[in-house]
Amino acid sequence: MATYIARRLLTVIPTLLGVLLAVFLMVRLAPGDPAQLLAGEFATPETLADIRQRFGLDQPWYTQLGLYTLNVFQGDLGESVRTRQPVTHELADYFPNTLRLTLGAMLVALLIGVPAGIIAAIRPGTIFDLLAMLGALIGVSMPVFWFGLMAILIFSVQLGWFPVAGTGTLWHLILPAITLGTGTAAILARMTRSAMLEVLSQDYIRTARAKGVAGRVVVFKHALRNALIPVVTITGLQFGGLLEGAVITETVFAWPGIGQLLVGSILARDYPVVQGAVLLIAVAFILINLVVDLLYGAIDPRIRYD
Amino acid sequence: MIEPAKTAPTVPTKREIPRWRRRLARSPLAIAGFIFIGIFVLVAAFAPLISPYSPVEQNLRGTYVPPMRVELRGPEGQSGLWVREVTRTPLGQVELGQELYPIKFFVRGEPWVWWGGLLQSDLHLFGVDGPIKFYLLGSDEQGRDILSRLAHGAWISLSIGLIAVSIGLLIGVPVGLVSGYFGGTFDLIAQRIVEVMLSFPGILLAIVLVATLGTGLTNVMIAVGIAAIPVYARLVRGSVLSLRDREYVEASRALGNRDSRIMLRHILPNALSPIIVQSSLQMAVAILFAAGLGFLGLGARPPEPEWGLMLARGREYLATAPHVATFPGLAIMFVALGFNLLGDALRDALDPRALR
Repeated sequence: MATYIARRLLTVIPTLLGVLLAVFLMVRLAPGDPAQLLAGEFATPETLADIRQRFGLDQPWYTQLGLYTLNVFQGDLGESVRTRQPVTHELADYFPNTLRLTLGAMLVALLIGVPAGIIAAIRPGTIFDLLAMLGALIGVSMPVFWFGLMAILIFSVQLGWFPVAGTGTLWHLILPAITLGTGTAAILARMTRSAMLEVLSQDYIRTARAKGVAGRVVVFKHALRNALIPVVTITGLQFGGLLEGAVITETVFAWPGIGQLLVGSILARDYPVVQGAVLLIAVAFILINLVVDLLYGAIDPRIRYD
Repeated sequence: MIEPAKTAPTVPTKREIPRWRRRLARSPLAIAGFIFIGIFVLVAAFAPLISPYSPVEQNLRGTYVPPMRVELRGPEGQSGLWVREVTRTPLGQVELGQELYPIKFFVRGEPWVWWGGLLQSDLHLFGVDGPIKFYLLGSDEQGRDILSRLAHGAWISLSIGLIAVSIGLLIGVPVGLVSGYFGGTFDLIAQRIVEVMLSFPGILLAIVLVATLGTGLTNVMIAVGIAAIPVYARLVRGSVLSLRDREYVEASRALGNRDSRIMLRHILPNALSPIIVQSSLQMAVAILFAAGLGFLGLGARPPEPEWGLMLARGREYLATAPHVATFPGLAIMFVALGFNLLGDALRDALDPRALR
């Protein structure tokens, strides 16, 4: 197990370096002078010279890459063109909001997705099953931004139950969390259903039924606990999917998270912040996947790493 | 009386329909998917015929007109389809005109050119006979007809989907094939690149690419296409790994066939099912991504009638003119649903383990 963890940790390193390289290339491959991109459109010649010096833009590309890597590992992601604040400060301001939104959405997804999947699996082929699975397909087909707008239109504008946008109270979180969580709920419902169906066809379930265990006990105690293993994995992996959806959901609800920061920075051509936000999301995604992978063995004792 | 002996039942000369196709035809979800996709493709192919107006034609007298009510009785009680003029007062109130005008089918109107000049006509599916404009689904902030914009937007979405999926297929499949078949250094490097690309979850990879390449429809197609490459590369590599040590591959190799022939003739055809399923699902993903980019302001540029962009414009007037954002969203949803339904049904139909 320990060697597995060590090996798994080692495989993350090339991926992280690759992500760093990709983020580095973003600015170098974009049309235009990298110094201008990093300094902003209205930078003075002095600022430009300063940026050139700091990022080694007059040096060969490998020196630049080395310098960039060094800076990142020292926690220096540059300065925002718009606010002149260090990018790390901006990210620290916005990231907790994204985390809050993501966790809220995951809660919504679990509360809707898992029960729907169980019901569909207990009664396969019935109207419940069909409705749950059709609902799940609609859930993955619906554009997040449209669902969010319709939620605002109905619940905020017409019924006045929730605030239209912004952040602050739990009330502000509900609509964005439902918007973001619906797609994941759909995926979890499908996953739970197929996992439950698989388990329910096993011999030990038949044995349990044959020896007269009550139907409810069979479903919840014998089947569900085993079916939840893949569901837990998918839940973990879906956090990454939520980070992606957060980019759009935050824009719809003017939710001051990392996604809104990213989109606003791209539109304002604030490249240092774009780089920082992309780096943060990608690294968070990689680390989540790593943790899920390692937890997998802890949840399912049948899995042995050797 | 002796009946002539019946001849033994012969093998039907008609070629038997493959089982997966029979399964597909029996699935109601697959049929629903086919219908959605069929409508989408037809609308895209004949967009200017279906639209009563040009997608960019403005009408500042008729901005934010809600979907018009069609009346079944004319001014003197005649049957038929009739509409009134709808205008907005400077204060934003909707005002209904007095006069009723008839709706006619297959009318001559503005001339249009389509399919790069192959199709030219001035025929429109329907139009109003009178000095007013008929907005079946309402109009937007510049008085442009939303139905006409949606129809032309279908063409944009279809092209984005097809081109993006083609980019993913043309690069991802060969990479996965070679990577899985030969392994070694190429596999190692290719898989690291795939891993890095997959570290940017979902639409984020497309966003990163658009931030680098710049916005605009062409770049959106490229970005969404590149985002599909790692999906195919990983999928195909997985299939190839499970096929490469099969006995028939071994046999082919023993016969002295070249690797390229083994890959293309023996391995690829057997890895085709998941690729087909993925391509249907990937069409939905590509269309959703492109619309998402358009919505964020990172995709198509105005006045392009791209669905995501239309939705973004409608967002600002959600309270007063909700129809502007509603219809493009419905269009995106039904098209994505169509491809998802088809992909799902194909997976069930092509899966040899699914016994029905």
